[in-house]
Amino acid sequence: MILTGEEIVAERERGRIVVDPFDPGQVNPNSYNFRLGRQCRVYSKYPLDPRVPNEDDEIELDDDGFLLEPGRLHLCCTMEILGSEYYAPTFAARSSVARLGLFINLSASLGDIGYIGQWTLQLFSIHPLWVYPGMEIGQMMWWRPQGEIVLYEGKYQSSQGPQTTLIHRDFDVVRVPGAGVR
Amino acid sequence: MILTGESIAREVAAGRVVIEPFDPWHIEPNSYGFHLGRHLLCGDDPVSDARQPPSTTRIEIPESGLVLLPQHLYLGETLETMGSPHYAATLYANRSTSCMGMWIQVSAPLGHTGAVIPWTLEIVVAHPVRVYPGMLIGKIAFWQPQGAVGGYCGKYSGSQGVVASRISREMRTNVAEAVS
Repeated sequence: MILTGEEIVAERERGRIVVDPFDPGQVNPNSYNFRLGRQCRVYSKYPLDPRVPNEDDEIELDDDGFLLEPGRLHLCCTMEILGSEYYAPTFAARSSVARLGLFINLSASLGDIGYIGQWTLQLFSIHPLWVYPGMEIGQMMWWRPQGEIVLYEGKYQSSQGPQTTLIHRDFDVVRVPGAGVR
Repeated sequence: MILTGESIAREVAAGRVVIEPFDPWHIEPNSYGFHLGRHLLCGDDPVSDARQPPSTTRIEIPESGLVLLPQHLYLGETLETMGSPHYAATLYANRSTSCMGMWIQVSAPLGHTGAVIPWTLEIVVAHPVRVYPGMLIGKIAFWQPQGAVGGYCGKYSGSQGVVASRISREMRTNVAEAVS
């Protein structure tokens, strides 16, 4: 079951959901609108290789706007710290943003119970598009889980600012038979 | 309700969720991390047609990896056979995968209750990205449904690996038939 906006507010007041900073004006019927942060990272060398750290450049989004080039991945982040130790999160673009032809994640809408931090957004625009730090760009939803909860302790915990992929760390551990012969 | 990782492990042990091969290491707080299988299908048709079976080339990803290019669709497969007759499933890219500029499905995350298969992935990349067979690429979540559960016996039942679209089998041949 998905939490209603009213329940998100109530659970935040009980300390069971973190949204910081919080503005009641950003509460929706079953989600909370988050804003686009200022920092941005863009890979600088291709092809990307998941087995090694990939180089990137850091950019700051200008208050007067930043022009996203189509077909280029920009890693940005939520202005807010978001998360919960009690509910599973999913996030999506606001429909107003999707209507501009902008992805904010690439098929990766599911987060983990227990992740609390700024969320890295994977901005990918179909057309040239001006975006602005502070704009309400996406929405976080929370879902009631079934079963015992073991909290997230992964490699992105408590992220501040956008994070480039740390997938190379997954290659250090090969567990499944047939997977990842090095 | 979404199953926690603990619940997924419990249901795998009880035989109510299938994940094969299964390794408890890949249990996540509310999902299971799956791996990329060895085979890809690439479309050969300059123009795709929903009424025609697609023409594709099957590629084996070498151990040294394969660079995928933007503006192409690659159909991949999960290494694992996964699914449940009791729960609905949704599939996602990992944050690590998405932050590398890779989609693993294109707006189609939902798997049917009862489909227990290696899943076909629709892989698109924002930039040239190298992929390796067996890399951890995505996660599957399971959801408790509400209401009586019917089994899945669709056109992808019994898939053994990556399968191209079979939508042509269901296309009516003219608009009049479709709206009648």
